[in-house]
This record gives sequence, C-alpha cells and structure tokens, in this order.
Amino acid sequence: MSASGRESTIDVKDASFRGVPLRRRTLREVGIQAFGVGVFYVLVLIFFSIEAPHFLQYSNFALILADVAVIGIVSIGQAIAIISGGFDLSVSGTLPLGSVAYADLVNHGVNYPLAVFIVILIGAGVGVVNGFIVARLGINPLITTLGTLSIAGGLAYTITNGVTIPFTYPSAGVWGNPAFERVQWGVVALVVLAVAGTLVLRYTVYGRSLYAIGGNKEASRLAGMRVNLLTASVYIVSGGCAAFAGVVIASQLLAGSASVGSDSNLLSITAVILGGAALTGGVGGIPGTMLGVLLLGTIANGMALMQVQTFYQQIATGCVLLVAVGFGRLRSYLAGTG
Amino acid sequence: MEGITTSDAQARVATDSAALEMRAVSKRYGSNVVLDEVTMQVFPGETVAVIGENGAGKSTLAKLMAGVIRPDGGEIRFRGVPVSFNSPRDALQAGIGFIPQELAYFPHLSVAENILVGVWPSRVGVVSHRELKNQAADAAEKFGIQVDMRRTMGALKVGELQLVEILKALCREASVLILDEPTAALTDAESRNLFRVLGGLAERGHGVLYISHRMDEVFRFSDRVDVLRNGRLVASASTREATPGYLIEQMLGQAAQELTVVESAATTETEPALAIRDWRKSGEPGLKGVSLEVAQGEVVGLFGLRGSGAELVAEGVGGLHRDIEGEIRIRGRSPSRSLTSPGAARRAAVGYIPAERKREGLVLSLPVQANLGLLVLSSLSRVGILRSRIERDSARLWTKRFNIRIRSLGQLTAELSGGNQQKVMVASRLAARPVVFALQEPTRGVDVGARVELHRFIRDVAAKGVGLLVVTTDVEEAVMLTDRLLVMRDGAIVAELVGESKTQGRALAFAAGEAA
Repeated sequence: MSASGRESTIDVKDASFRGVPLRRRTLREVGIQAFGVGVFYVLVLIFFSIEAPHFLQYSNFALILADVAVIGIVSIGQAIAIISGGFDLSVSGTLPLGSVAYADLVNHGVNYPLAVFIVILIGAGVGVVNGFIVARLGINPLITTLGTLSIAGGLAYTITNGVTIPFTYPSAGVWGNPAFERVQWGVVALVVLAVAGTLVLRYTVYGRSLYAIGGNKEASRLAGMRVNLLTASVYIVSGGCAAFAGVVIASQLLAGSASVGSDSNLLSITAVILGGAALTGGVGGIPGTMLGVLLLGTIANGMALMQVQTFYQQIATGCVLLVAVGFGRLRSYLAGTG
Repeated sequence: MEGITTSDAQARVATDSAALEMRAVSKRYGSNVVLDEVTMQVFPGETVAVIGENGAGKSTLAKLMAGVIRPDGGEIRFRGVPVSFNSPRDALQAGIGFIPQELAYFPHLSVAENILVGVWPSRVGVVSHRELKNQAADAAEKFGIQVDMRRTMGALKVGELQLVEILKALCREASVLILDEPTAALTDAESRNLFRVLGGLAERGHGVLYISHRMDEVFRFSDRVDVLRNGRLVASASTREATPGYLIEQMLGQAAQELTVVESAATTETEPALAIRDWRKSGEPGLKGVSLEVAQGEVVGLFGLRGSGAELVAEGVGGLHRDIEGEIRIRGRSPSRSLTSPGAARRAAVGYIPAERKREGLVLSLPVQANLGLLVLSSLSRVGILRSRIERDSARLWTKRFNIRIRSLGQLTAELSGGNQQKVMVASRLAARPVVFALQEPTRGVDVGARVELHRFIRDVAAKGVGLLVVTTDVEEAVMLTDRLLVMRDGAIVAELVGESKTQGRALAFAAGEAA
C-alpha cells in the first residue's frame, strides 16, 4: 500500500527533474549538420557579397527566392518522404506533368483555382500509385519511383507532343506575380507550405508517426501504427507538392513545358540531406531543408552573377553536398555517436 | 568455496604457457563499462566455459579475443606474445578462430568452397574443384567432422554450419577456437556432436573457449569455468571441483538473494485476464493445440527451448500472427475482431513486449519522450495535434516510476544502456494500460541491476490486477519471476509447474523432453 501511495504522489513538476522540451532538444540532436550548413551559408553569403557584382541587393535576393520557390516546394514533399524512410525520384516527372497540365487546363478555360486543384490531384494520383506499390507490394522506393518518374515524365511529353504550351492568357501566371515588394506569390506559397509542414511534422500525431516509421518500421508496426497507410501517404503529399511546384514554374515561365524540373529530384534530395536528414529515415526537418534549398539557390545565383558557366555550378552543388554531409558525419563521429 | 579464486587464477599467469591470455583487459561503451580489467587464460588442450548473466560481458569478451572489437585497456597475449588485432581476419591469421552466434557464409557456394574460401587451390587462376573437395574432405576427416562437401551451404542446418565454420578456422591453422553461445540454436543431438568434435580438438592440443548459458553442458563439457559478473571475472574454477550452486551464486552475486520470495497477487474470483483455447498453427515451429489461462494479477511463465513454439504464443497474443486458429478471451470477452494485427491487440487492451527491443520495440532515432508516448499518441493529442505539456508530464512520470536514467527527456533512445532501453520499452507498453501483458524475454541483454528492477516492476504490474504472460528462454527467470510455469515443447504445453515442483532442473528436463 505504502509503495503505491508513494508512486501516486510523484510531483511531475519536480524541479530536480526538468526535461528539455522535445522540439528544442531534437533540434540540437539532429541539427548538427543543419548548423554546419548554416555556418557554411553565412560564409557563402560573405564570399559572394565581396566577389559577385550586384549580389548584395534587395532585388537579387528577391530573385534568389523566386528561383528557389519551385525546388523548395518539391523539397517539402521530399523531406516528408525521406523522414518516413522512403524517397521520391518521381517528382521530376510529376513536376513537368503538373506544369503542362496546368497550362492545358487554363488554356481550355478552366478557372485558375480549380486548375490548381486538379493539378494537385493529378500529382496526388502519381503519389497513390507510388504509395500502393511501395507500401502494399513492398517494392523498393528507388525502383518504384524510378518507374513512375519515367511514366509521369512521358505523359507530360505525350500531352504536349514535346512542344512548350504558352498560356493563352498571361494572367494565368498568378504564382509568378509579385505579392509585395517584388516577392512572388510562389515564394509566399513556399513559406506557407514550409511553415505548415514544419508544424505538422513537429506537433501532430501524423508527423510523429512519420518519424517513428522512418526510424523503425517494424517497431512502429508492433506499436500498432498503420504503417502501410502512413507510408503511402507521404508519396501522395510528395506528388501533390511536386505537381504544385509545376504550377509555380509554369506561372513563372507563362508556359507549360515537359522539359522543366528534370533535376528537381536530385536537387530536392540534396537539399533534404543538407538539412540534416538521413537517407535511412527517422531524422531531418523542413527548416533545415529550406536552408539547404537556399544554399543551393544562392550558390547558383552567385556563380551566375560571376558569369561562371552552369556546368561549374553543377560541380559546386556536388561538392557542397559532400562537404556538408562529410562535416556532419565528422561531427557525429567526434561526438562518439558515429 | 571449492573454486579457485581470481587471485589464484592470476598467479597462474606466471606459467606463461597459455595459448591465449587476457591481462587486465577492459572495454567500455561510452560511460558503460562492459569489461573491467578481466584477466584470464586459455591453455593448449583445455576447454574453458565462460558463463555469466545476460549482460555480464561474455560476448564482448569473445569479440575482444577474436579481434572483432579492440580493448580500451589491458593486453592480449597469444602464445606469450602481446598482440593487437584489427579484425577477425588478423586474429585468424595469428591462429585464433572465432565462431560467432550469427554465422556469415556464402549460401550459394558448396561446403568445400566455403571451408577454403580465400585459399581455393588453383592453377593459373582456374579453381581446381577436385583438389578443393579433396583438401576439404581431408581436413574434415582429420578432425573427425562429418559433413557432405558437395552440398550447398544454404541447405545446411545450424549445427552443420557451425561445424563447417570450425573446419574453416582449422584449415587456417587455428590453434585456439572461440565460440559464442554455440549451442543456443542447436538441438540436443547437434550439441552433443559439437562437443564431441570440440573434445577431439582439445585432445589434439587446441585451446577451446566457449560461452554458455546452460549449466548442464558446462559440467559435461569443460575443464574450467570462468564466471563473469557485471564485466568482472569473479571466479575461475576447475569444473571438477565446482558445483552448480557455487557457480550460480558467483553469477548472480547479491541478486541471488533478491526476488526469491514472490507473493502471488493472482485472484480466481474474477474472469481470467487471458484465456487461450486450442491454439493451432501449422509450420515449423507450430502450435499443436495450446490452451492456457492467466488470472488477473497472475504472472504465468511460458518456458521452452528454441523451436518449442513458446514465442508464437506471445506473438499471437500480441496480434502478430493472423494464421493462428483457436479462441482467445480477454477478461472473459472475445475481442471484437480476433487479434489479427498489433493495432487490434492494442485496442483489445493487450500489451506486447517483443523479444528484440532494438529491432522490434523502440525507435532508437527518437528521443526517450517520444518512445514513451509511442503507443498512446491519441491520448496525448487533441484532434491530431500533440499536447506537448501532457506528453512531457506523462514521460516524466514513467521515467521516475521506472527509474529510467537519462540526461533529459529529449535524449536519443539510442544513447541509453540496454537496461534503460528495456525499461523505456516496457513503460511505453504499460502507458497504454493493458489488462493483459505478454512479454518476450523481458530481461534479455540487460545488466543484473536492471534485471532485478524489471522483475520488481513486473511483479508490481501484476499486483495491480494485470495478467502477465512471460515467455522466456532464461530458465532462471522462468522459475524465479513467475507464480506458475508452463513448459512448452514441440508446439504443445508439456508441463505445469507450481510451488515446490517449479525448479530450474524440472523445467529444463521437461523442455528437453527428458522427463516423463
């Protein structure tokens, strides 16, 4: 009796037993790499401010943001997929499919909000296929999304017959219009989605469940989670994001094209990994991913201003990824957890 | 008592004729000291058994000797010469063969090819298969090992795989063999055969060291027994002079006195917490009509050797097997849908502790707090949004109640010791307030202190009216922890042991089919 009595009077606010809030602590634990990327980003900013003409101007930063909006939106979906232990190569097919579908719809007189909605549904549809194959049939996400990448990309070419579809009415490019002070609506959408994604991952049962299945699928299943449903859901989110990114890029170009975003899958995966995620799942986050996206976008912008040719940019992107990941690995090794 | 104490054992170092010798070797992982200045020897022609509780450091010791891991302090000597191995390959080259619990081999290659892998006889780069088979067969005959050289490795049984692994080491001139729990997965006949082979090797002058968890085999097949407890070598005794009582006392230390008296909280006045009737499952292992009842407040043990099907019962209760036929009742009621998934089991107020916490029980990449709330996310949230204050307070309560040692609730679960991880797993299941709790190997791989604590928690849970089914291959736990012990063999319950009749010896005898 006395034992159980003692147990029931445990004071949970006992000052000697203060836990650090989960979110702050988690940031510290998984944020080592993102922190390194942050430091690196500052160095990159300083470098280009000195070396690149016109880099340090408001209009240029607005340009960088506009440039990263598309990859940023794709990366949000990609981050969710990678955190849950999967990943999605098919975004490079879904994105152009979304772009040409949007152009086609608005040119046929569908009103803009409805067109966006339909395009997102198309992207989600690609995600349903991915999700079904990965979760239900248990086929590796690499192979699955490689297949759907080809299919979705091929569909985009089929719709356009390989030619660009310009908007009949340029007003359809709403997401490319400035919302305020030269900041595009696409950028606003990116910020809204990033904040929403962050909140979902951190503060909802769904988000927590994604981290759990990414960290240990079997343990999550035995804990009674609906692992298949959760797994499938991330591809739907990722597909929806990629298709919407297609709408944004079409808005910026005032045209739909099947040849846009072909590198968006690898770029988004790069950004997510830069943001502190592991390809094995279970760790990572959207704020870090956004930092990764910004870093990649800034380097591309600065090098363009310095009139460095684009293939050197590709080399730089690869180096940044390897250096950042190597740095994170080194840090965790020194901390004794590697 | 009868045994030779540690200091006597150390005195023997002076003879310097040891084949393999550890001098004050230590190993720690983080702040966790797994081996603490262990000094021991293996002499040529000697068979040494190493015993100890779960988590005493036995496997770590074997891995150090075999070059799998490196010591943090101390010295390893091989034939009197200090050595430092970077890999098992180094150790093997020097003459130490290691047979781990999980064997690594090429399943698609033949037995002969596996035995001589890396040293295949060849002429101008072309492997001579006849030569290969002859060499392997010669070696097998020389060491008295019978195995068909032409068979594919993947088609062999565990016992045969081990023999092949031993041959592989012998063909590379190994003079010392280290075996990590070699009989854990073997049948009795296979074990006897293995020890016949090992005995022959000892006669030829090989030094043999094996880790064991079975008292009976230690007494039948060893010259000397070394006892590890909490990372220290606490006894090194000649097997002829030692008694089982002495060895158990050395293994358990203080813990031996605790938990010997358990007061049953079982009540028969209410519906049983769990009732299983005629459970059947085909396959190997399968279930052949298992029926059992667990009263509210009762701790029922289910003990069986590997392959007895005992673990299937726990998994079935946990909702892991859709294909089990038969009936289940939780507090007298059939679950609305039979327990076809872990989620369904949870909704039916069944808690289930899987055997392997790292693989099946915990999400190591998440903080402790998140693991504690893993099963009860819905009660820690409102409309899908987590309420962090409630989650935190609940996690605090559990860490305090279970004495889980952490730096903060946000500490990653991967950083905790085995015992603390196990506590987190058990607590996370209890948070869902089960009325039936099925536990598999509740104290596997935890240190002695955590084991005693976990046993006490399990008794506490029973005292609150929960019915517990403890499935274990640890015979000591099966006897000490439970109110009533059921012994399984070949998919059926073969004995029910209560009170005076509930002894380790009887449990083992029934499990092995040696008692009527």
